[in-house]
Amino acid sequence: MWSFVKIINSYSNVAKSFRYNTKKFSTRDLHQKNWEAIIGLEIHAQINSKKKLFSNSSTSFNEPVNTNVSVIDAAFPGTIPRANSKCIELTVATSLALSGNVQSVSFFDRKHYFYPDLPAGYQITQHYAPISLGGKITLSPLDGLEYETDVRIKQIQIEQDTGKSIHDVRPGIVLIDLNRSGTGLMEIVTEPDIRSSKEAGLTVRKLQTLLRTLGSSDGNMEEGSLRCDVNVSVHEAGTPFGTRCEIKNLNSIKFLMAAIDVEIERQIAELKKGRAISQETRGYDVTANKTFRLRTKETSTDYRYMPEPDLPSLIITEDYLTRIYNTLPELPDDRKRRLMNQYNISLHDVMSLMHEGGGVEYFEEATKNRNPHHVVNWITHELYGLLNINNIKFNNNPVTTQQLGSIIDSIETGDISAKIGKKVLLQMVSGDKRLSSDIIQEKGWKQLTNMNELEIICKNILSQNPEQVQQYKQGNKNIYRWFVGQVMKETKSKANPKLVNDILTKYLD
Amino acid sequence: MIYLNIVGSFNGSLDGIPIAYKDLFCTSSLPTTCGSFMLKDFKSPFNATVVNSLEEAGAIMVGKTNMDEFGMGAANVYSAYGPVYNPQSILFDENHFEENDGERRVAGGSSGGSAAAVASGMCFAALGSDTGGSVRLPASYCGVVGFKPSYGQCSRWGLIAYANSLDTVGILSRTVNDAQIIYDVISKYDVNDSTSITPEVRSINSSIPSFFKLNSNTNDLRGLRIGVPKEYFVSELSESIIDLWKKGISYLKSHGASIVSVSCPNTRHALSAYYILALSEASSNLARFDGVRYGYRNEDSNQKDGLIYADTREIFGKEVKKRIILGTYTLTAGSYGNYFLRAQKIRRMIKSDFDRVFKRPNPLHPIKKDLKFDDDNKVDVLITPVAISTAPKVEDCLTTNVNNFVNTYVNDVLVMPASLAGIPAISIPFGVSSIDGYPIGLQLIAQYGDENTLLGVAKVLEKGAN
Repeated sequence: MWSFVKIINSYSNVAKSFRYNTKKFSTRDLHQKNWEAIIGLEIHAQINSKKKLFSNSSTSFNEPVNTNVSVIDAAFPGTIPRANSKCIELTVATSLALSGNVQSVSFFDRKHYFYPDLPAGYQITQHYAPISLGGKITLSPLDGLEYETDVRIKQIQIEQDTGKSIHDVRPGIVLIDLNRSGTGLMEIVTEPDIRSSKEAGLTVRKLQTLLRTLGSSDGNMEEGSLRCDVNVSVHEAGTPFGTRCEIKNLNSIKFLMAAIDVEIERQIAELKKGRAISQETRGYDVTANKTFRLRTKETSTDYRYMPEPDLPSLIITEDYLTRIYNTLPELPDDRKRRLMNQYNISLHDVMSLMHEGGGVEYFEEATKNRNPHHVVNWITHELYGLLNINNIKFNNNPVTTQQLGSIIDSIETGDISAKIGKKVLLQMVSGDKRLSSDIIQEKGWKQLTNMNELEIICKNILSQNPEQVQQYKQGNKNIYRWFVGQVMKETKSKANPKLVNDILTKYLD
Repeated sequence: MIYLNIVGSFNGSLDGIPIAYKDLFCTSSLPTTCGSFMLKDFKSPFNATVVNSLEEAGAIMVGKTNMDEFGMGAANVYSAYGPVYNPQSILFDENHFEENDGERRVAGGSSGGSAAAVASGMCFAALGSDTGGSVRLPASYCGVVGFKPSYGQCSRWGLIAYANSLDTVGILSRTVNDAQIIYDVISKYDVNDSTSITPEVRSINSSIPSFFKLNSNTNDLRGLRIGVPKEYFVSELSESIIDLWKKGISYLKSHGASIVSVSCPNTRHALSAYYILALSEASSNLARFDGVRYGYRNEDSNQKDGLIYADTREIFGKEVKKRIILGTYTLTAGSYGNYFLRAQKIRRMIKSDFDRVFKRPNPLHPIKKDLKFDDDNKVDVLITPVAISTAPKVEDCLTTNVNNFVNTYVNDVLVMPASLAGIPAISIPFGVSSIDGYPIGLQLIAQYGDENTLLGVAKVLEKGAN
């Protein structure tokens, strides 16, 4: 009945475009001119729970519209929300991991505004007494920053997500999908401690990694499981902070950074012209790489916050906190240091592993009794690449650690070349559940490692091409690769390159 | 729709018993309109928990009863489907009223339909809802029992909210015993209602001693202390009501109860606190009726700038609109601190007034002891009037006179404190007015969770009815 609703077409929609003008702009230039930017973030992370925040319906992404909707999510009269303990647990874990102060008593409030994808006419959030206060994210060279700085967390609150308004499918009609309605969100608000777009980008990236490590959110900006609003103001060093503007709905770190840079530029230009900055909410136009006014303070909504009378206060006991604290996994900074020390791999490799949820666990399992450098290269270069090409997410990776390990072992024993190894891996990514040796066997990809056989082949090639041998001996060392090529051609690329190298060197030098 | 059990097997304690439901309890077999055009054709996909409980016990739904739109009213003249007339007036003089509807008496609100259905014998009992007297007031006007249990005893899942923090399922019946039978079926924890009293608190509650045990049936009130709160002696009380109040006190005294004058000093703030809190919550609850899924949209005025929902809300009745505007105002950023927060503070003060006068500790915070008050001065129940008058005439309630605006709210002054405190209260028919012959009820109020004592005393009191 309410699935597809005809409503008015007055909702402006920001044009979505994937073109992005990369106008080079450095906030550092501005610092030299004595301007300073003050930046704060409001991050909404979808809580990674199976059920919604206040109902028993499943959370979903890309499911058929209006299939995961209960009477509570659709705000039927007579319904009462019931808090999902899993959502509370994951938020508490996130707070603890961010060194936040989890409050022993917090409660929920209603935030009122009319919008077709908000069926109750209010969103349940935590305005007056959020679940966690304080905390910080430390940025350091481990994150790719040249110096160390703390971004303090102001508060973390739990709230419900809205449904989705689908514009432009039919002109003049807005369609409503309530699948997302009532999904749990953590809103993480930072203090205005950020000074550049780079710090802002790193803060979000670091938070993403933390959320994925904890399993508390997918933290995926492109899919909307992590959404970011940013507050920006500028002022001349030594003077009080300027008036801030909020930029809403930035859906990638790249756009977040670009929007901050152009907004800083805009505000400085305004101030230089002697104009004042007025407090307002702005959007970011990706195509034009510009921010634009959405609404001013005068036209902003009065949300009429009211304590949610249907939900009792959230009481968090010491015992509960201790229990959650004891189940926290290794946190990203500790993990980075440990992995670099234990396996002697680079920070870059560690960050690549950590970028995917479960990446580190996969690596540590696969690297048992194997060379960590080889394993990390196979994961971050070959496996990530093939998964990406085939549009498979890492958490759906079909290749087991035994399978990946078996490829590395086959290369180590000389059964296959790295090149063939990639073909084996593609086979596995496509769903082949066998180990490397079985696949090589069946496909006939095993390398020629028989020394005698290879010697004969090499000798034949040398004796059939005396002209080229002569050139080599006269100093044209480049022709060496041609000989290797001939051997490979003869053996249909199965010859072990190391052995071929040994034999050719022996006879040519 | 009526299901008759022709096989002859026993279906439960209420097998075949006809029950009516106020039209804000969701039922999947009948529409649920809340007395509003906004929900004119609304059929809920689910049953309220209390409806399910009664049906499981074998009860039969005889119908849904009229009410003030979304529970907003004390006379039941604000229903989109017409007022509820007091069945007593029909019994008195059938012909006279056919000529002049305005002369008829109201049934009281907002559960007027439920009270009238019970008073006229249409059903064994009816469920109503009590937010600020909405069960007790019509019970007094119609001459039936109106019982409001403690907040959280009976599930609100499927009760369409007026003011969630005050809404309580209420029972209208002919006798206290009948009310008790219904109460025993619907009073239980419901996981779907986050404000339902948890099994832990229920067990704490039953471990605290009460004057009466469960389902007590004794007339002996020796040792019972009954409080008469002096603040309930308001100037608006009519003579015949004061008379009956005195008779009720004497009657209980004659059964051995000792009578104590007590004070609940914050009673005078209850009315203003109630209207701020209830209307704030109401304005929020009714936001979902935005014309997208309920009501209708006026296609011609869709393009009005900024007022995208304004035209859809014209379906609400005048009283509802008035209360939405007041509630919206008290929640705005500029007035929240001055109104809402102060009203919440007053509410806490009213609660502690009651905690101070009752002997039995409040099971929600049983450890708290107030040492300032002597145990000897504490009481088991309070006795007060329910209404300042007998049922008024329909035309007097429909007047648009500005002076009447607040007067209609004053009607609720005696019933609101118990609602704000969430404590159980019951209206018992105790006699009729010597002036107009219409029924008058007396109210008993007990400590939170002490339904046993409340119902025990009520059973004695109803026997003394004149």
